[in-house]
Amino acid sequence: MVLVLMLSTGALFAREGEKGVALSDADIARRFEERRQSVLVSSIAELDPADPTKGGHYDVAACLQRGEKREAALARLAKILAVKADGNMFWMFPMVTLMMAGDQSLDAPNRARIAELWRTYWPSRGDTENHWVLYYSSLYLAAQTYPGAGPEKWFNGKSSAENMAEARSYLEHWMEVTTSFGQGEYDSPNYIEEYATGLALLSGWAQDAAFRQRAHLLLDYIFYDYAVETLDGYYGGAHSRVYPRQIVAPGLTPSLALGWLLFGFGERQPNGTVQILALSGYTPPPILERIARDRAQPYVERELKRTRWRLRNAGPESFVIGDKRTIPVYKYSYVDQDFILGSTQGGLLQPIQQQTWNLLWRTDRSAAQAANTFFGVQPYSSPLEGTMFFGGDWDTITNLIARSKADYDTPDKLPSGSPFEQVYQHGPALIALYDIPPGTRFPLVTMFFSRDLTHTEEDASGWIFSQGGPVYIAYRPFAAGEWKPNDWTGLLAHGAGGFISTDFAKWGTGHRCYVSPALKNGYVVQVAPARAFASYEAFKAAVRALPLTFTTAAQPEATFTSLDGTVIHARYGATPTVNGQPVDFAHWPLFESPFGHATRGSQQLEIAHGAERLLLDFIHNARQESAVPAQP
Amino acid sequence: MSSRLSRFLVLALVAGIAAAPAAPVSRFYAAVSMTKAQKNSSTPQDSGLYLRQADGQWTNFGPRILGVTSLATSPVNPASLLLASADGVVRTTDGGKTWRKTTGWEVADVRAIVFDHANPAHAYAATAWGPLRSTDGGASWQLAQQGLARLYCQTILADPASGGHVLLGTEDGVYASHDGAVTWVRTAFPAVSVLRLAQSAADPKLLLAGTQGRGAWLSRDGGQSWTAADPGSATANLYAAAISPHTATQLAVGGWDIGVRVSADGGRTWADRTAGLPAKNVFVLAFDPDVKGRLWASTFEEGTCFSDDLGRTWRDGGLYGAYAFDLVFLPPAP
Repeated sequence: MVLVLMLSTGALFAREGEKGVALSDADIARRFEERRQSVLVSSIAELDPADPTKGGHYDVAACLQRGEKREAALARLAKILAVKADGNMFWMFPMVTLMMAGDQSLDAPNRARIAELWRTYWPSRGDTENHWVLYYSSLYLAAQTYPGAGPEKWFNGKSSAENMAEARSYLEHWMEVTTSFGQGEYDSPNYIEEYATGLALLSGWAQDAAFRQRAHLLLDYIFYDYAVETLDGYYGGAHSRVYPRQIVAPGLTPSLALGWLLFGFGERQPNGTVQILALSGYTPPPILERIARDRAQPYVERELKRTRWRLRNAGPESFVIGDKRTIPVYKYSYVDQDFILGSTQGGLLQPIQQQTWNLLWRTDRSAAQAANTFFGVQPYSSPLEGTMFFGGDWDTITNLIARSKADYDTPDKLPSGSPFEQVYQHGPALIALYDIPPGTRFPLVTMFFSRDLTHTEEDASGWIFSQGGPVYIAYRPFAAGEWKPNDWTGLLAHGAGGFISTDFAKWGTGHRCYVSPALKNGYVVQVAPARAFASYEAFKAAVRALPLTFTTAAQPEATFTSLDGTVIHARYGATPTVNGQPVDFAHWPLFESPFGHATRGSQQLEIAHGAERLLLDFIHNARQESAVPAQP
Repeated sequence: MSSRLSRFLVLALVAGIAAAPAAPVSRFYAAVSMTKAQKNSSTPQDSGLYLRQADGQWTNFGPRILGVTSLATSPVNPASLLLASADGVVRTTDGGKTWRKTTGWEVADVRAIVFDHANPAHAYAATAWGPLRSTDGGASWQLAQQGLARLYCQTILADPASGGHVLLGTEDGVYASHDGAVTWVRTAFPAVSVLRLAQSAADPKLLLAGTQGRGAWLSRDGGQSWTAADPGSATANLYAAAISPHTATQLAVGGWDIGVRVSADGGRTWADRTAGLPAKNVFVLAFDPDVKGRLWASTFEEGTCFSDDLGRTWRDGGLYGAYAFDLVFLPPAP
């Protein structure tokens, strides 16, 4: 029974985190405000009164918000607004940031130009969840700026009131689905910034207090989702979407930039969402930093997500929310002070850029240089996947996807979901099984070995051992493979990927892949903190002694006893078991770990740290801070 | 496409203007995305409607919106147009001077749109998320999903000869409605994705369907029964289907890697008419209502052509670089 005490939690829960970081409410708030102010100050510094070509939207917005360099900012803004509008929703939110943050300082000509652009430029809504959130959050605030404006003032012929109503209706629907069934574009270290942007704008500037509160709650919600699976700002666990560079070099993801602003991890990185958050005035609840830094005890984080809407080829396992089809995504992460091993069940959970599982370890290398990751992938592309998630045509969808995601249709790609992959993880061990039909476009199973790995050895036992920083890794392939360099087709190295290929020489070289062509395939991965063993040799000896049986003759199948004695059994197409008990996917929680709990459909997330509680309640649109007595 | 042609022909006959006009009178639009120039980008260089001018040039018409796929005009008000787009349905009632999106956030990826000529206030749309119906000329829309096993659809036609009779091409075959898209029933069609439906203006009972992977199908009883039409394209993905508004015996289908195939005997025999086209990937076919026997074909990114001899020879019709989703002839502007 929870005893709810409404109180200020700061004094009670002050404690020292790792590396002596003070974690009282006051300390956290002070440090956050210092970072926030430094963002704004450096943004203002980007404007050069002598050169109106310098500075971006958010730099102008910072000047206008602070009332500094106003004339230079207005001159720069006039230059920005003179450029032909382009970019759809990616045009909208920078414009809205300017309108919101700079509202008090805008001059009449720039105001008129902005209004004219909203009348004449039709930004399309796009086709992903993040596109829609950006579109509607921006449209809501833009319409709010022109109360009473009629249809003739808007690109889409709807009045301000109509645009606000449509935007709010979508956003509230999205919030309800997200807090009931999980995000569709879940836990992306790239796209977290898009969601943070839309919600920061609403939480900062929506005039309706209830709607502003709801946006703020969801911002806390997605930042909790990140905090509970982060290691020094690196976003661990399985991801819905990640780009080739970031899957290889996790330090290059926008989540690192957010980790710095929100929790003080690492160094500041240039990032527009960080600027928007700073401008919005958003302050994260201090419990999130305490959670993000608390890795004293290993824990399991289970989360329920969903696939993006499947508009066709949905499959018999799909279910309906409203009138849209999806399937559940069962996320599991084992979080240790030195690593995170995280996974989903496999299958086609996202188009294009899925990462089904990965290992991430703590690193001393700089974020720009670190390649602190290890993962496997079945590189899959097909019109079946493309038409499942997009409204395009069978024969052109793959081609058009590859126009922007150049690696999508290549055998050496690293982000990918596959309908022929099934993964089950328990603790720091996982089994992956593959049953790839003959004729599949890329009949391969690829294991990525980053250049940061050391002591990689192919053991006579069949295990391949390696070490990633403070983590020992054991990988047992069920079928033989061969070593190939990363990007073995040379697609990205030769620049074919456009922006995806940029700086490939810095992040893309020196890695290699263990590639197996066997159609019936699989592997076991067991990881362990180096601190748990007297030596690397001791780890290897312990793994060699673990019971493991597997077959790839018909249905791939494996039974593995992990280092902690747990017996994991998986058979392709069947429910896995742990110590003989079937895994209960039917009751998989929306969130569950020592730091938080939410049940499916609840629209409520209880965040916990020690005796501290924060309830994010979307049913009552309320937050509730409380404390419970420590359990004996 | 053909359904629009048929409705136009009916309208033209009613209006008494079908007596062999000396010059083209229709407004001829292409709904396209300019994807050929799309490099390192998730969006095309341009997207929207292009209007063919008298000199053969194509010019932008209407708002530039991603995923514009088709256009329909009110049978009673030529200035009232409905635009199908990824953003929803966009409507003008003043011939294109002003436009208004008439759907909410729930509607996206509209693939086809038609008016019900037998009941001019009614309009229907096929979207990737399910069909829609309007009873006020497209000013507002309702979901129309009752009876459908799966919602994805991308082609729809309203029978001009029978008010409220609507045919819908879904990922699960052809569905029919006899109550203006309020309820749907499955027709005797294979459980395959239907990519294009066409109806004959001269013989409204004659229907032609292009499918994904199962070629062309013909119905001679208004959609109650269907038979495979062309052994030569039996496994093709056919995105295009058209029936001449002047001669019900002239049929054409087109698709991916198969080019254009035509029949001059009502579907009994078919011939390959790909030679002379710039590519074998065809997405739209349309018979020209103003020039008897003229067939238009639009290829994936390699241009649009027309033929005045049922595909034996082809002439350049422009739109190089376009990914055309529809070619639409509308009655002349008032």
